[in-house]
Amino acid sequence: MPDDYRQYLIRLIAMHGISEIMGALPEKEWVPRAPTLHRKLAIMAKVQDELGHGQLLLRVAEDLVAPLGMNREDLLNGLFKGTIHFHNVFHMPAPTWADAGIIGWLVDGAAIITQGMLVQGSYAPYCRALERIIAEESFHIQHGESICIALAEGTKAQRQMLQEALNRWWEPLLFFFGPPPKSELTKHQDLGLMYRLRNRTNEELRQRFFHKYVPRIQALGLTIPDPNLRLDKETNTWHYTQPDWSKFKAILRNEGPMSKARLILRHSAWEQNRWVREVLSTRAAVAV
Amino acid sequence: MAEERLEYHIYEVFAQESQMAPAVHQFSLLASSPDMALILAKENFLRRQKAWSVWVVRRDHIHRTGPEEAEMFDRLDKSYRETEGYRYLKEKWRRYKHEPLTTQTMT
Repeated sequence: MPDDYRQYLIRLIAMHGISEIMGALPEKEWVPRAPTLHRKLAIMAKVQDELGHGQLLLRVAEDLVAPLGMNREDLLNGLFKGTIHFHNVFHMPAPTWADAGIIGWLVDGAAIITQGMLVQGSYAPYCRALERIIAEESFHIQHGESICIALAEGTKAQRQMLQEALNRWWEPLLFFFGPPPKSELTKHQDLGLMYRLRNRTNEELRQRFFHKYVPRIQALGLTIPDPNLRLDKETNTWHYTQPDWSKFKAILRNEGPMSKARLILRHSAWEQNRWVREVLSTRAAVAV
Repeated sequence: MAEERLEYHIYEVFAQESQMAPAVHQFSLLASSPDMALILAKENFLRRQKAWSVWVVRRDHIHRTGPEEAEMFDRLDKSYRETEGYRYLKEKWRRYKHEPLTTQTMT
């Protein structure tokens, strides 16, 4: 395996695995506050799935770092040391129940668009993990759709809450796929294309997201907070206002709105559960 | 009381959907004992899937062929081993005014 291929895979898969774990944090805030028992069970199931995805992906990443003398603990510590990043979309706050809905509907929708590409990539162990993950994501999307449609069909206040959540998440959703081509921020894209780990650019994925979701968002009576958003029918391309990419760069430095708080939360969970890891790796001698 | 330090190992996980189903490879996981591997296997891979039995096997206990040996399994002409090689019998039986017997038509 070429070194730069391995390094690319480690960065991609470790980041994906860690992001699944970090991605559970904004949603798990809503487990104790879910509006009904059914909603509580569903969002709990989703949070558990996300952590399960983290387990699958870290397993794949571990096999890649093993020849370098590293293990899972090194990967998990990479997050705290800042050598492994978590996905830009998980640095955002989720202040209302509608945010939980938008995360399931649109953030997971965006994730499936990316993963649908990655699952066709050249590294089979990652693709096998993605197949399992995508199967569960289809439940996540419907879970999110169900929350959003219920709010869209609800009271004026509920529709307002949904609209405000969409306003908050629109820019993060544009960030989700990464910067457009020929940007200083896209240095890794070419290597991914060369090694057939991806076959579409960030912009192509973002366009696909617009095609799938803009009409559906509008069908629910929501307003997308971008007056310049329109489809050029001749080129079949969506025109949109570029988000503020300096905010994106700040997120990459872990200086997004919730970056520090989520890292602290993750670190305290890691420390508080240390005793569980200790118990699992020792066997007390049985007294005779 | 003395404590024994347990090492973590990679376990490959298989699941059988029913008694008649083959054990199908699911994925792998990291565990410090077979018991922990079984618990994690259920949590990680069988949250929705139906299962009758779950197997966990330490990866370093599995003997497998590698990609360099994959060619070994490439198909040669094995028509003498397969029903494909005996299709002409259908025509023969037609001449004898009988349907050919197969395992399906016999049971």
